[in-house]
Amino acid sequence: MTSQPLLEFRNASVDYATSGGTLSAVRDVTLTLAAGETFGLVGESGCGKTTLSMALMGLLPPAARVSGEILFRGASLGTLAEPARRELRGNQISMIFQDPATSLDPTFGVGFQVAETIRAHRDVSRKQAKARALRLLAEVGIPDAAARYADPPHRLSGGMRQRVVLAAALANEPALLLADEPTTALDVTIQAQILDLLADLQRDHGTTILLIGHDLGVIAQVCDRVGVMYAGQLVEVAATAELFAAPKHPYTRALLGALPTRAHGPGRLPVIPGQVPDLTRPPAGCRFKDRCPAAMNVCDTGPALVTGADGHAVACWLDPAADGPAPEGSATAAPVTLEGGGDD
Amino acid sequence: MSQATVSRDTVQRGTGRRGALARRLGGREGVAGWAILAVLVLIAVLAPVLAPHGVNTIDDSRILAGPDLSHPFGYDDLGRDLLSRVLYAYRVSLGISIGSVLLAMVVGIPVGVLAGYAGGWTDMLLMRGIDLLLAFPALLLAISLIAILGPGTLVALIAIAVIYVPIMARVVRSSVLVVRGQPYVTGARARGATHLAIIRGHVLPNAIGPVLVQASVLMAFAIVIEAALSFLGLGSQPPTPELGLMLAEGNDYVTTAPWVEVFPGLAIAVTVLAFNLIGDGLRRSFDPNWIAR
Amino acid sequence: MNARLGYVVRRILLTIPVLFVTSVFVFLLIRLVPGDPVRTMLGMRATPQNVATVRAQLGLDHSLPEQYWDWLRGALHGDLGTDFVSHEQITSLLGQALPVTLELTVLAMLLALLVGVPVGVLVAARAGWVRRISSGFVIAAISIPDFWLGIMLVLLFTGALRALPPTGWVPLTQDPVQNLRFIILPVVTLAAGQSAYLLRTTSAAMLGTLGEPYVAFLRAKGLRQRSVIYLHALRNASGPIVTVTGIQFGVLLGGAIVIENLFALPGVGTLVVTAINARDYVVVQGGVLVIAFLFIGVNLVTDIVHGLLDPRVVEAGAR
Repeated sequence: MTSQPLLEFRNASVDYATSGGTLSAVRDVTLTLAAGETFGLVGESGCGKTTLSMALMGLLPPAARVSGEILFRGASLGTLAEPARRELRGNQISMIFQDPATSLDPTFGVGFQVAETIRAHRDVSRKQAKARALRLLAEVGIPDAAARYADPPHRLSGGMRQRVVLAAALANEPALLLADEPTTALDVTIQAQILDLLADLQRDHGTTILLIGHDLGVIAQVCDRVGVMYAGQLVEVAATAELFAAPKHPYTRALLGALPTRAHGPGRLPVIPGQVPDLTRPPAGCRFKDRCPAAMNVCDTGPALVTGADGHAVACWLDPAADGPAPEGSATAAPVTLEGGGDD
Repeated sequence: MSQATVSRDTVQRGTGRRGALARRLGGREGVAGWAILAVLVLIAVLAPVLAPHGVNTIDDSRILAGPDLSHPFGYDDLGRDLLSRVLYAYRVSLGISIGSVLLAMVVGIPVGVLAGYAGGWTDMLLMRGIDLLLAFPALLLAISLIAILGPGTLVALIAIAVIYVPIMARVVRSSVLVVRGQPYVTGARARGATHLAIIRGHVLPNAIGPVLVQASVLMAFAIVIEAALSFLGLGSQPPTPELGLMLAEGNDYVTTAPWVEVFPGLAIAVTVLAFNLIGDGLRRSFDPNWIAR
Repeated sequence: MNARLGYVVRRILLTIPVLFVTSVFVFLLIRLVPGDPVRTMLGMRATPQNVATVRAQLGLDHSLPEQYWDWLRGALHGDLGTDFVSHEQITSLLGQALPVTLELTVLAMLLALLVGVPVGVLVAARAGWVRRISSGFVIAAISIPDFWLGIMLVLLFTGALRALPPTGWVPLTQDPVQNLRFIILPVVTLAAGQSAYLLRTTSAAMLGTLGEPYVAFLRAKGLRQRSVIYLHALRNASGPIVTVTGIQFGVLLGGAIVIENLFALPGVGTLVVTAINARDYVVVQGGVLVIAFLFIGVNLVTDIVHGLLDPRVVEAGAR
């Protein structure tokens, strides 16, 4: 039994070559995930969280360049050729996306789409794959799976489709599941069901889950640890309760402070002034400095992510003890989403 | 392909600067197409001036003779100068292709607007009629009409217009349906705008794009169709200089006097190419996702 | 499976009224000729007795609905009338001509599909310069009139290479090899333009489907690129491809009329054009009807194939 972390990012960066210059989507992310944990990655749209996960999967467009290292089970993914990376996808590392309506091929039966994942990575017959797919569909809670096996996706509701997507993603018992905003496109009641399902599946299969999102409420509900990203940088990482109770990075604090609660009373809600920086001309050092109420000259040189003894990591020059108490609002506030346009 | 629609207030006007013009014409292809077409139209209009010899001037001694200095395209099977005939033939070709499409638009656009806007029984009835016409291969329908009316240049024009009316109507109708469902139309109605005002102000400006693209494509084909009709003896009749007719007349001699078939055919191909390029350019300039380099 | 069967049956049933209305339309053709069609047909032999005889023969002295009913009854029994010039049964004339046209158009469409679709898929899978070259090629190919291409091919193969005959025909059943020699140039001529269309349609449809979100999930599942393209993307792209094939078959039929004339193939197209020039309206009517029905039949087949490939079409058709 190894204590080797399941997933490691070491100074991982992603740059895009665009007509407007080089876009720095992710810069110097260093992060470690242990087997069996549920990790939440939060940040507003465009902060790089999806880009980071796509870099892990190896599904970035050709214009992207990945530097630094991404290690899965100790092996550097960058050294692997494409066939080897494809072997990992859907097999040891799976990813599910935001909108179940568009994740499934409309011209094939849902059962087939689960079975083909199995046959892509296991040497089994069609019948065996179908049998396993049926069991998976039942396990994710599709009622009367045998009857619905051949149904095309449009005959299922959004929640059902997301269950099918999960079934396909977990068909080969991956060690790691990347879930990119899996509940954003669903009704609130269905959201809860899917999150429960995720928790059950994780418990039963021991899967490590990397949950990406901008809904702090969802993250707080499900994750053991949380990482916060801003403009391509990882600014803070902590255990969930710790992060919500005592955030250390000014961005995290401002974020949590912006959550509307009863304590706010009438009047305007607090906002974070300013705008996300242009990533084709990213500021040197800390990318939040232009909007940070406590910015200093030294912020022009990057603060690295420093992990404290309690495992709480923050990338900031400020002395954490010197700052004020945690802002109002707690993790159990109503789910609030961070506004922002565009994709990561 | 999704169609983006805009309310009349945001339809952009051209600025006349060269870059903007190239953008409106849809890039390099579009500009090339318009340039070629401009040259061809000039040729057609100025044919009497440009043609070195008469269209029907016969030189018995030079039947099927090859190209020479004063007759760069050679001679046809009656000893006539091919170059002059080709130049004059552009009058017929361009005239029929542009004329037939314009005629189809005059009839087809109102039909399409009516069907799309009124909906209900009107739409169903008109659509059934259109579907019936479209159940025939185009050339077959044209041939059938000519069978009734007798061959000739004007008849060919009308026949082509007839087969194009349903296509135009359909394109217009799709556009109309998209616009009609937009919130700003409901808003306009709520403000008391009349149907006519809405059609003029919102429906037509948004339909113009697809209509123009379709028109250019149809013009491209009209050339081929009317050349084919004349080739079959059902279009323009001799001694009218007409490209398809020339191809028919010279067909028997293709192995011995290839220029008789090569040049008229090239003339057709260049014209069709021009219209196709224009159509591609228009398609791109109306595509909201297209970014000119 | 039941939904699919229902879709197929519904499509077939819906075709019947189309066939009916088309036949009425074609039937009215003769009656639309300005002046007296009989006198025009007979031309110089239009003596009052002949006119009266032919009138009676064609039933033109009855009322219009009666005429149609007579004609329809005859047609359903395989009797489309008699060519008054040659006194042959029109049905037998058509029976000899139809196989020629069928062979020509079917082979041409198959060739166009076999060339256009795979190349379109390949072009869509590659990026950059391949696509630019192919789109340039497509525009050029579409701009060339097919009968001119035929003439140029004759110039090359008959004139320069002396490899193939310019005209002539031997039925397939009689001598397949000779038949091939006569038909290969017409088929290639027709197929060239169509394959360019199919290439463009396929590559555009494939690019469209490859950009769809579900492709990202397919890749995330670790499927081979081959599966993604040929199993999933192609199936989703097949809708537009099949639809365009149906439409293009109509263009192909029209083109076949011209190509048959060019290569002197004894098909329905040649029959119709000759009849028009001879003012032989009865033959025209029969020929036009056969070609129109052929087109409607092909459209029915493409509708059915489309439904089989894309389950959403079946649902939509049920409404």
